[in-house]
Amino acid sequence: MPTEESVREPRQPRVVEYGPLASMLDHLPAGAAPHAREALLRACTNTGIRVDDVIVGARSVVATHDPGLGPVIRDIMHDVLRHSESDYTSESTPAVEIAVRYDGIDLDDVARRCDMTTDSVIELHTKTEFVVEFCGFSPGFAYLAGLPSALELPRRATPRTRVPAGSVAIAAQYSAVYPRESPGGWHLLGTTDHRLWDEHRRPPATLQPGTRIRFVVAT
Amino acid sequence: MTLIVEQVGFTTVQDLGRVGWAHLGVSPSGAADRTSLQLANRLLGNWSAAATLETTGGLALLAAAETGVVLTGAECNASLDDKAVAHCQPFVMPAGSLLRISTMRNGVWTYIGIAGGIEGPERLGSRSHDTMGNIVPLSLHAGITLHPGPTRGTALGLDTPIVPSDTERLTVDVGPHMNLVGNHVCVRAFRRTWSVSGEPNRVAVRLTGPSLHPRHSEELHSFPLVRGAIQLTPADELVVMLADHPTTGGYPVVGVVSPRDVDRLAQARTGSRVTWKLAVT
Repeated sequence: MPTEESVREPRQPRVVEYGPLASMLDHLPAGAAPHAREALLRACTNTGIRVDDVIVGARSVVATHDPGLGPVIRDIMHDVLRHSESDYTSESTPAVEIAVRYDGIDLDDVARRCDMTTDSVIELHTKTEFVVEFCGFSPGFAYLAGLPSALELPRRATPRTRVPAGSVAIAAQYSAVYPRESPGGWHLLGTTDHRLWDEHRRPPATLQPGTRIRFVVAT
Repeated sequence: MTLIVEQVGFTTVQDLGRVGWAHLGVSPSGAADRTSLQLANRLLGNWSAAATLETTGGLALLAAAETGVVLTGAECNASLDDKAVAHCQPFVMPAGSLLRISTMRNGVWTYIGIAGGIEGPERLGSRSHDTMGNIVPLSLHAGITLHPGPTRGTALGLDTPIVPSDTERLTVDVGPHMNLVGNHVCVRAFRRTWSVSGEPNRVAVRLTGPSLHPRHSEELHSFPLVRGAIQLTPADELVVMLADHPTTGGYPVVGVVSPRDVDRLAQARTGSRVTWKLAVT
């Protein structure tokens, strides 16, 4: 049994087992996980080690693999940590632009609760460059980090049972675009026609961990 | 060899699921009980990942042509033209015969393996119906025709099926947040008996048990989940991830159920008791 760890202790990045079929890189700095994923995939390709999925969390990366490969993949994860500094400041592909009609059902309510005009909400939302921190909740749903703190609001107390595909929303410290119709508790600012999810496309999602995004007012 | 679905019940097409898209929020999906799916395919001489039907009952299939079939997983009340059929023993459905699967005698999921496997559309590399992500390569309804692929091997006859029991002892590995919650809390949790609550589903199994008073059961930074991960909720419940689990979660993972035992847990009915064996001490 590992020794007890103080909750208050500053968290150093670490590599841990996650059952026989997965390994985890945890306590990564904010924004580092998508780069760690890329570095891990590159290292596995270079060494011919097969991983199944490499999944990104807000501060972590998990690789799923055959039961015998755990030790070797955790070694590679330690290497990724040692060489991470240079990788975190990598490529600069242009940001994806998503055109939004700011006609969301919650726009007025958000403006009121953030104590600003709807125009200021739109201005803040469009002048921010977001980056996909991780995907989850449903296929193609990307958590977009970078929301200005002036727009931070808790989720709605009662989630809606039906949020239409293409809804552009905010909640807590994130923005998101609902890729498909689903239930949801985020505040809806507007709508986009940008098709973010298509099971017949490779990859099926436009927004992947690390993708940078800018919202622009649809004309 | 074709089968026509006469009555669908809660039935989905399942294979061994999707690999490679979890970073985009796509669940692995696939059979809730992978051991039973693979057993069905082995008994029929199929490729081990061939697509089968997974049902909780209420299913009727009409053979439009002679078809080799086997039932694995939960034992069910099943009949071929009103004559009972045996579990885990391949049989031939003659053209025009009707296979009915009414209710389960134990367990949750019965697999109907079909010689040659079910062909049909794939989505993201799998024929599995993902009930949470709503990825449905082939939607089943009364009247739909299923087309098996060409048969490859020979039927093997009897194997040794795992029969679900009312009490399951599950092997559990250390979870990544064990230290955060407190090792003594986790050890206490895994020494006790828990019981399955809630309706069976393909997403997760919910367990109720003792009060744990963990040091920490608040939401963490969202992190990736895997099949078998045991999350401890603030309500002192354990939630074990099954095939259609969300790809990320926020409650601490106190253990990971071994892959084979996730299959057994998936078959546990409401009220079943669960005990644990720690794989690492």
